[in-house]
Amino acid sequence: MAIKEKLKKILVEELNLEDMTAEEIEDSTPLFGEGLGLDSLDAVELVVLIQKHFGIEIQDMEEGREAFESVETLAGFIDERLKG
Amino acid sequence: MDSEKKGRQWSSKSVGTAWQHRFFYLLIRLGGRWAAYLVLYFIIFYYMLLRPDQRKKSEYYLRRRFPDSGPVRRWWQSYRMSLELGKVLIDRAAVGILGPEVLSVTLQGREELLELVGEGRGLILMMSHVGCWQVAMAALRCLETPVNLLIQQEEGDVDRHFFEHSGTGSPFHIIDPRGYLGGTLEMMGALKKGEVLSVMGDRMLGSDRSSVPVRFLGDEMQVNFSSYKIASATGAPIAVLFSRKTGPSSYELQVSGVIRVPADLGRSKEAYLPYAQLFARLLEEYTVKNPFQFFNFYDMWNNDGEG
Repeated sequence: MAIKEKLKKILVEELNLEDMTAEEIEDSTPLFGEGLGLDSLDAVELVVLIQKHFGIEIQDMEEGREAFESVETLAGFIDERLKG
Repeated sequence: MDSEKKGRQWSSKSVGTAWQHRFFYLLIRLGGRWAAYLVLYFIIFYYMLLRPDQRKKSEYYLRRRFPDSGPVRRWWQSYRMSLELGKVLIDRAAVGILGPEVLSVTLQGREELLELVGEGRGLILMMSHVGCWQVAMAALRCLETPVNLLIQQEEGDVDRHFFEHSGTGSPFHIIDPRGYLGGTLEMMGALKKGEVLSVMGDRMLGSDRSSVPVRFLGDEMQVNFSSYKIASATGAPIAVLFSRKTGPSSYELQVSGVIRVPADLGRSKEAYLPYAQLFARLLEEYTVKNPFQFFNFYDMWNNDGEG
């Protein structure tokens, strides 16, 4: 499964996004605030989920901030780390 | 009312005006702490006698801490509590204006803290608005680890932190909870680097989604559980640290307990409740021993955000 699709599935199933399917999430939709409506508590959870599912630990939080913009940026971040 | 305002009823704004603060700072410069204390006795007496609105702010706590007190005794308790706060604020300013040598601060549990930092997963210091937590934090230099402080200061607040008097800049890295994602990424980043993160366990920050109800002094109040969630996510231990004024020129900082939150507790807020309740119990024990050094002057138990 491609990283983006896996991420969307994780978001819907593990962060309990109500009334939304993985297919409905656009790649560029912001994860936090007006986009998917995630908040600071979800950010903590997301850090844990990324480590659990992809084995990637977000150490540098500035980097994490850029990665957390959308599914697209997060998938790009994960892809880069997996290759590196 | 949005959920953040509903969850947060306190304000960091001082009761006094800017000139009143400047007057005290001048008094400390010219006459030292004792001159400022002397004036303080009269000012607190004025507030207690002629400003019932201010006196009422201490009664939310005093009613629960001393449920059997009558009106006269309650008035006296309110005076004691406000006087202790005034002294702490003077001490805090004196450290910044006259230097840290004006007070002695002892740290009980230094070895324990060093061991916790030595685990390498960061350390969350959970403090409370008791004693003089800012002055007591000077004792944390012995940890030889960068200290990050989660703190929210209101716009227009005239009260200064002790380091603002000396103009040397903050000895701590300040994390603003109004920042990106409530500062959570910054907090986790600090812990992942093995640093110390200091948070206040007794105040609501953020939305009511991040709160759990705990029992404190016989009633239910909401506290934020984000710190426990971050502890679970990072593996960082939580040291509960309270300060108290032990004499005219001395403070003590004591490790009252260590809370370890297991990993993988998930999203349910109920999973974090036992840890928040443990903190509330330790805070309650503190108020039994130091009833007039508890400085939350608002209705912590009003869960509807009214009043």
